[in-house]
Amino acid sequence: MDAMAAIKQTFFQECEEQLAELESGLTAILEGDGDAETVNAVFRAVHSIKGGAGAFSLDDLVRFAHIFETALDHLRAGRLAPSPDLLKVMLRASDALADLVRATRDETNLEPQRFAALAAELRAFDPASMQQTGAAAIVKETDGAADCADDEIVFRPILMDESMFDEMDAPPAAAPRLFRIRFRPKPALYAKANEAALLLREVSNLGECSIVCDSSELPFLPDLDPEGACLTFLITLSTECDESSVREIFEFVEWDCDLDIAEETDEPAGDGVDISALVERLQASVEAERAALEEANARSAAGATPPSARQNFSPAQVEGSDTGDGVGSIGKSDPAKSDPVKIDPGKSDLAAKGDQPGPSIRVDLERVDRLINLVGELVINQAMLAQRVLEEGLARASGVATGLDELEQLTREIQDSVMAIRAQPVKSVFQRMPRLVREVAAMTGKAVRLVTDGENTEVDKTVIERIADPLTHMIRNAIDHGLETPDVRVRAGKAEEGVVHLSALHRSGRIVIEVSDDGAGIDRPRVKAIAADKGLIAPDAALSDDEIDNLIFLPGFSTAAAISDISGRGVGMDVVRRSIQALGGRISIQSRPGRGSTFTMSLPLTLAVLDGMVVTVGGQTLVVPLTAIVETLQPKVADVHEFGGGARVIAIRDQFTPLIDVGRELGYRADNADPLAGVALLVETEGGARNAMLVDAILGQRQVVIKSLEANYQHVPGIAAATILGDGRVALILDVDAIVASSRADSDAHLLAAAG
Amino acid sequence: MPQAQDDSAPSKAAHEPRRARIVELPAVLDLKAASPLVAELLACRGDELLVDASRVERLGGQCLQALMSAAITWKADELPLAIVDASQEFVDGLRRFGVALEDLTDQEFTK
Repeated sequence: MDAMAAIKQTFFQECEEQLAELESGLTAILEGDGDAETVNAVFRAVHSIKGGAGAFSLDDLVRFAHIFETALDHLRAGRLAPSPDLLKVMLRASDALADLVRATRDETNLEPQRFAALAAELRAFDPASMQQTGAAAIVKETDGAADCADDEIVFRPILMDESMFDEMDAPPAAAPRLFRIRFRPKPALYAKANEAALLLREVSNLGECSIVCDSSELPFLPDLDPEGACLTFLITLSTECDESSVREIFEFVEWDCDLDIAEETDEPAGDGVDISALVERLQASVEAERAALEEANARSAAGATPPSARQNFSPAQVEGSDTGDGVGSIGKSDPAKSDPVKIDPGKSDLAAKGDQPGPSIRVDLERVDRLINLVGELVINQAMLAQRVLEEGLARASGVATGLDELEQLTREIQDSVMAIRAQPVKSVFQRMPRLVREVAAMTGKAVRLVTDGENTEVDKTVIERIADPLTHMIRNAIDHGLETPDVRVRAGKAEEGVVHLSALHRSGRIVIEVSDDGAGIDRPRVKAIAADKGLIAPDAALSDDEIDNLIFLPGFSTAAAISDISGRGVGMDVVRRSIQALGGRISIQSRPGRGSTFTMSLPLTLAVLDGMVVTVGGQTLVVPLTAIVETLQPKVADVHEFGGGARVIAIRDQFTPLIDVGRELGYRADNADPLAGVALLVETEGGARNAMLVDAILGQRQVVIKSLEANYQHVPGIAAATILGDGRVALILDVDAIVASSRADSDAHLLAAAG
Repeated sequence: MPQAQDDSAPSKAAHEPRRARIVELPAVLDLKAASPLVAELLACRGDELLVDASRVERLGGQCLQALMSAAITWKADELPLAIVDASQEFVDGLRRFGVALEDLTDQEFTK
């Protein structure tokens, strides 16, 4: 990949982050908890996208982002009230912007009408839309007044006194406009390899320009931070360009400098103004105030002696164009007067620093993966070493053994830290959902509110990437199938607006994500009828409510009476379940008629390591995930009861629990093992059901590195993955849920056979 | 200069009662040049200073402030500091920042 493409890719990645920020910010404002900083963040997001797009000449993107940004700027400046109407349009604009970013990235085309329409809607909110049209020719009296009103909000007093311009000729021609620009670079500007000199040159290229360097903050040399920034440049620019073209120059440094741009609307400098005359006047005016200045200097020197040197450089007036006269013309700037320029710079700097998040780096995922893989190997290696030491028969208290213990702890810590690199809050996925909800709600004509919870729950990046699709599907389903239309809801005595609740939490080493709705719940008779219709179940099958609910996970099942655009895309809940299972996760459903349904996904936090119990079954070493195990027990002869078809139950504290013979289930042996010779593991499956699994012996607990079986071989039912043990042998990791499910299916078949 | 030793510029010292040290500015005065420049200037503090700007091709904001800070520092120390042999690029660069060459030079010294 060439460098440009790589940078572009980074840009698009950052765009995604900005878009997420934008959307969550807008939502927060809509819900009324947006403070000034939220509005700023939203503005910044659009602004950054625009800036980056500009660098790559992505004109469509720039154009739309600019209109959006303009509207946000009004919101930021308080010229627009954050009304729900406005925010809804802005939310749609943010959706459109996201589409535009993606379309640009994938180089696909989008219908321009949609953006034109949205842009028009945004512009309609613009209190001073005329101002943005940019053509200098239409600067009329009324517009000038509007500009004035606008500028009042952002106007900062600058060094040059109004009086300097008082005597200036004001020719009738209105075309050239006079801007006073105060530009104070921050150290970050230089650190990012921008150069004030180039920016100043760009400004002077716009028209006639005079630059004054305010060095009042400059300290003596020993106190100078060589890479700091203490100079402020005061620019008076007479140009035919509009304010936006001036701002464009500072586009990429806007956050790295203090920038005030104010237009002198009262005193428009005309074509006829000779810039050297202006310079002369400026100088005359400055000279006239010299006395006052020197007095001020004396005062400040006699006073508290500020740390910064007060002796000022005399500003040289610079002409943007031809003559060299300006070089020599020296006046004397007035520190006392320049003071009001600084609106407590120290304070604002501090505030800016406080806003900055901690520094972070962007690392190629591949590198992290390699690191994780290597740490995995380290864990295995460490286990092997421990095994060797054990085999050598070294004493437990020997130096080698204790050293090895320390190594083990260290290894574990390294592993945890490396995993933490990959851990990300589920926020990145949750953030995509509000838009989905809006779209689906609009398509179905339902009123929906999405409530999210636990967005900061962290989970491995690979898991995050792979839950987005199933989650999208589940939310679509919840709205399309779960929620009723508003009138039906009202008739049922519910609020018109349906609620979809999306939550994430950590539970016993797994992440649990729930999607619940307050809709009608699963229509069980209909589900059963459809399943029977499609030949998925026998028409007269007696099924529990739970079993009926789970029918929707069967391949080829679709409840939608009319195939809708949203859910009926040929992928059903079976696909959802399969993709979750592929992650080592489980999905379950609880539904109450009239009250809604809850889909619960439980996923491993990481796909790389697992705490497991190492057991032997039929001469094979297996690993049972520790998270599934509740307790272990030695079966007693009185507790084990056998019934038809070889199925057995075990009584554990007066409760009968199915006893599953793992060896038989996996086909290691044909007959039931003797329960008295083995150990039972009480396991809990996703639904909360308890089962006992019979194994031959327990070897111990160990953290194992997961090696995918699918990637290296193929999926094996009942087996989740594989690992390498300390002795170098491969051990299979049991998929407890699958084993329990298959054993139940087996016993059902046996029972049916026995009954039939 | 009480502590002045005749080590670096003996010929100059022989001609003038006060010894002037010379700092030659590099061609590119960008971000990277700022720290070395400040260090070099600081090392000359206490002496008269001639800053040779003949080679300068590019002047950045941070080197500018180093030079300006040096100018006020020397002025406060009541020692002369002058820019000599300024290249056209250096003068233009200063002009771009709204600073005149004369600002950086103790006028009496150059005479």
